[in-house]
Amino acid sequence: MSQENIYREISAAIVELNKEKAIQMANKAIDERMNILDVIENGFAEGIRRVGELWDEGEFFLPELMMGAKIMQECLELLMPHLERGVERKTLGKVVIATIEGDIHSIGKTIVATMLRAYGFEVFDIGADVPVDKIIDTAIEKNADVIGISALLTTTMIGQKKVIEVLKEKGIADKFKVILGGAPITGEWVKECCADGYAGNAVEAVNLVKSLLSK
Amino acid sequence: MNNESKVILFDGAMGTEIIKRGIEPGKIPDILNIEQPNLITEIHKAYFSAGSDICQTCTFGSTPLNLQHYNLTEKFKEINQKALDNILLARPPDRIIAGDIGPTGEFKPPVGNATLEQWYQSFYEQSKILDKYIDVWHIETMSDLDEMLTAVKAIKRISQKPIMSSMTYRKTKRGYFTIMGDSLEKCIKSLEMSEVDVIGTNCTIGSKDMIGLIEESVKITNKPLLVKPNAGLPRLDTGEKTYYDQSVEEFVEDICIMIDLGVKIVGGCCGTSPETIREIRKSIDLLYS
Repeated sequence: MSQENIYREISAAIVELNKEKAIQMANKAIDERMNILDVIENGFAEGIRRVGELWDEGEFFLPELMMGAKIMQECLELLMPHLERGVERKTLGKVVIATIEGDIHSIGKTIVATMLRAYGFEVFDIGADVPVDKIIDTAIEKNADVIGISALLTTTMIGQKKVIEVLKEKGIADKFKVILGGAPITGEWVKECCADGYAGNAVEAVNLVKSLLSK
Repeated sequence: MNNESKVILFDGAMGTEIIKRGIEPGKIPDILNIEQPNLITEIHKAYFSAGSDICQTCTFGSTPLNLQHYNLTEKFKEINQKALDNILLARPPDRIIAGDIGPTGEFKPPVGNATLEQWYQSFYEQSKILDKYIDVWHIETMSDLDEMLTAVKAIKRISQKPIMSSMTYRKTKRGYFTIMGDSLEKCIKSLEMSEVDVIGTNCTIGSKDMIGLIEESVKITNKPLLVKPNAGLPRLDTGEKTYYDQSVEEFVEDICIMIDLGVKIVGGCCGTSPETIREIRKSIDLLYS
């Protein structure tokens, strides 16, 4: 089987949510001493990207999305120890992501984190109901490029602005790009907060982060 | 309820009204049943005075499972009991009280780890308390059909009172689906099988998109239908006050279209207020004048 065909089969196994097949293909790649990095990028990540698109198109729903992400994660755990020494999966950038303090809505944030990972970003998802200081401390500690803050409630949206204000107070606002997410977020709110952008869905979020980091 | 029966007016949003009165971010509204009972009674009164035939208890998040997220499990009984006290104080003699039941916030696998048994127990515990004084049930904002059916089953174990069941849908290119992937038709058919009394929909989408959902629903079922749409999407103005991006007039117009399509119980979800309800009351009264 040609490399291209193997990549295609892996991608298809993820889209079909066929865990058995995905694991079998991961093992095959290891046994055949394929370039593990290429297998991840062109096979598994390609599959999960397609899963994300199907979610946006209304073909897939939350269970499929979470299932796809879980299968991908299991396969990555199998593959990672076989990466050549010194070779790391190329990261497009580091993102710290959280739902703001007072808000326990985590689904949207988790979907965005999953998609960013699939596209090759290193993502630190620090959960929901996270205080402003913890978000900033984590971003400093991880040397993040981007901070993503989610809020579903208009009452907790204020916290998004607070993050940016505190970054300014500390004089480190220019070290990070800050993006916002959540149903009530608009372009005006992004301007009001002096944030770098917002996205209406996970695929848009990936494009936003890519374009911010290419500047 | 036959086709000639009058249209019944439900209430509007509780959460939005509480936010207007300056609740702390992230606090669950249900705890105000204990901390600020007068405020909750005042909101119920505002809806009854605006013309609501039915108002619902402030217990949307008061299942033991959901209260766990706010470390309020030990206050579970008190919150539900106080919610009944608060609405009883507001209710005029000829009006109806609905016991409000919302999702537990716990998903089944692969999204979360909840089991049907956990859901069942949680709904059962809550409805055991509320059953005492309510007249009718409203299970709402359910995005998982299995969770809805579990709630119906738990309520039916202890209560003979009518059940209104409102799922929440998102509009996709392929039609209306729950976030878990159940189609409108599947939900309606399953709810018919579970012998609920009213089939409804609330939240997530605004009144414009809900018209399309009702056009499809009337083709699927003869059961009485209920709608509680959102008033557009929540926005925050520069003064950091929440507002919704749809006018009351537009909302009421859409509600009238849905009444024409055959909906029997109408009200509002997030972003609606006593003002919205007052305007719908006027339109309904015109129908029978």
